[in-house]
Amino acid sequence: MTDQNDLRAMTFRLDRRQMISGMAALGVLAGSRSAFAQKRVVIPEGDFAPLPIAIPNFAAGTPGDTEVGVGVTQVITNNLKRSGLFAPIDQAAYLEKQINIDAAPNFNNWKSINAQALVTGRMTRQGNGRVKAEFRLWDVNTGQQLAGQQYDTSAEYWRRIAHIISDQIYERLTGEKGYFDTRVVFVDESGSADRRVKRLALMDQDGANVRYLTRGSDLVLTPRFSPSTQEITYMEFGQGDPRVYLLNIETGQREIVGNFPGMSFSPRFSPDGQRVIMSLQQGGNSNLFVMDLRSKSMTRLTDTPAIDTSPSYAPDGTRLCFESDRGGKPQIYVMPATGGGAQRISFGDGTYSTPVWSPRGDYIAFTKQGGGQFAIGIMKPDGSGERILTSGFHNEGPTFAPNGRVVMFFRDPGGNSGPSLFTIDVSGRNELRVPTPGFASDPAWSPLLS
Amino acid sequence: MKVKVDKTLAASIVLHVLVIGWGLVSWSTKAYVMPEEESVAVDVISPDQLSHVMAGQKDGKKENPKPLVDKVAEAKPVDDTVGKVEEKKPPVVTDTAPQPAPKVEKPEDKKPDPPKKVENKPKEEPKPVEKKPDPVKPDPIAEAIKKEEKKPPPKPVQQAAKPPPEQKPKDRVFDQSKIAALLDKRDPTRAAATGDTLNANAALGTAKGKAADNSATWGAMFKQQVERCWKKPYGGIEAQQTEAVFSIKLKRDGSLEGMPVPEGTPATPYLRVYQESALRAIIECQPYNLPAAFFDEWKYFAPVFTERKT
Repeated sequence: MTDQNDLRAMTFRLDRRQMISGMAALGVLAGSRSAFAQKRVVIPEGDFAPLPIAIPNFAAGTPGDTEVGVGVTQVITNNLKRSGLFAPIDQAAYLEKQINIDAAPNFNNWKSINAQALVTGRMTRQGNGRVKAEFRLWDVNTGQQLAGQQYDTSAEYWRRIAHIISDQIYERLTGEKGYFDTRVVFVDESGSADRRVKRLALMDQDGANVRYLTRGSDLVLTPRFSPSTQEITYMEFGQGDPRVYLLNIETGQREIVGNFPGMSFSPRFSPDGQRVIMSLQQGGNSNLFVMDLRSKSMTRLTDTPAIDTSPSYAPDGTRLCFESDRGGKPQIYVMPATGGGAQRISFGDGTYSTPVWSPRGDYIAFTKQGGGQFAIGIMKPDGSGERILTSGFHNEGPTFAPNGRVVMFFRDPGGNSGPSLFTIDVSGRNELRVPTPGFASDPAWSPLLS
Repeated sequence: MKVKVDKTLAASIVLHVLVIGWGLVSWSTKAYVMPEEESVAVDVISPDQLSHVMAGQKDGKKENPKPLVDKVAEAKPVDDTVGKVEEKKPPVVTDTAPQPAPKVEKPEDKKPDPPKKVENKPKEEPKPVEKKPDPVKPDPIAEAIKKEEKKPPPKPVQQAAKPPPEQKPKDRVFDQSKIAALLDKRDPTRAAATGDTLNANAALGTAKGKAADNSATWGAMFKQQVERCWKKPYGGIEAQQTEAVFSIKLKRDGSLEGMPVPEGTPATPYLRVYQESALRAIIECQPYNLPAAFFDEWKYFAPVFTERKT
């Protein structure tokens, strides 16, 4: 009998517990309902503003590493600053100069100088001649660590480490891939205006580590990277007709891509790196052809009594854009990568040339000529949304950064001066000169190296 | 002469101090003085927004038990509050048989006071109703007809004459000594407000309503302050449908009571970055200088950072 009573009590207690939990659930519901009554205050369309970021010098793991620590810090600071999306705070303003990367920073010291992000790091030489780089990215206001990595590399590549860290910071704080760990191939120009020596040159995206790839005895034009960044295809005026060449950057090995009668020019790799597309001159016309690099077979893509040139693939490789004067004046056309059915997309005043498809796929950049001016512009692949980024006496040859956010081009002020390289954001902001040893033209931006 | 030079010098110094001082204050990045933002009286709003403005909060404090709309307030004495609210009617002095008073007068706005007194009258009056057929016509023509018929018993006539107010209209005699009799002895009543004036607080404390919404005022002030700290990440040239919503709780001094709680998890890297940038701004810009009068409204609210163009 008592047992039964106990049982009953237990069941009752259970019931009550259920009831309580049920009531709690109701309470939760009521709580969430009251959330609807919260006032909403809309903060609309704030202006874009560069993010204030503090980058104190990377600590030295051993006494001999101070120099490389400072160097890495400077490269990162310069990269972020040049992107236009960050406002690195002058080190002179820092309340703390030496930061221990192993401990959480004292955020109040950084809040007081209005930093919103903080980078701490350390460079340490290893026994084997390699160097270890560590960094952490902090959100000053929330005290959260946003990113942290360590790398191990041979000491001579410390600049690349700095670029890779820059990319990490950029990606974490903007939500987009970076473009700092990249190279640019361009035509280096030296000598007087009538006896220009043109050499192929390679450099880091920030202008450091310039290397010359040709000697300058022959005229070179339109170098382009392969997707692997190991090869460059370009046009060279040799002894006979201009030819398209393939050059391996590491080995220096060079070969002619297709030896055809007549001139071949304006080559570019397909996104998979298996093919090279180019123009072939036949009489007064030139048409587009694509060569498979393995089988060396050549396929004709256009057959018009006009000049078709400057082909560039969409990033997915299904379509390509090119320049043609089949309508009378040079304009931009888009067609399937297999040829046929080209559609004109440029309809503004003047002529359009040197189209290049953004690696992101959203825009085609071009050179527009009209009214005595050369402008760099972008438009969507369907021809809509055309906008001019910069305009002047002579601007030409746009090339996209791998994230599609920045365009590099060359500008020639005319007169006795020579061309130099510039970058500009696709929004038209932040035009910057890219440092080069001499005059420079025809830049091509590599994909990300890492 | 000397004095004159001194004057200009003094004026110059004063002006310089003023200009530089003004510059120090007005060009500094931090706002020293936060002017109270006035709600704009004339504003184009959607019906939805209008209903928002008029709605209140369920748990709003009942500060205003008296309906504000009623215009009668000025004319009526204090005891009006006790008085019954009823529809405007012609004065009850009547020579026809009183009808059972309409109970219509129940107030639309929930008056706390129960409708007591007026109903009492109809209850007293049902008596004459029984004799309705007889007392009807006190006028001479009817009597004349009745006399001709000789049918009418005298009693009913007397009864008909019984109610004094019914006789009065007949003679229209004004007896000064009986002025008091003219007074309406019912409890005071007042007419229900017909006013079309908006009463924002009308629904305070009711189950359906919400509190008064002054967020236009303090919201604009909050926005102004948080914008100073917001380093919006650059999201490309295409207008993106980006939005970040938080729940934040503020203390009386305008500082955060806890970490702002983001609504939802961001789906794309850019959305995440956008949300983080807004979060940084909210934290960095505290404490907020908001009007203390509306603390109950801004102690817990939802800032919405958005790129959506509505």
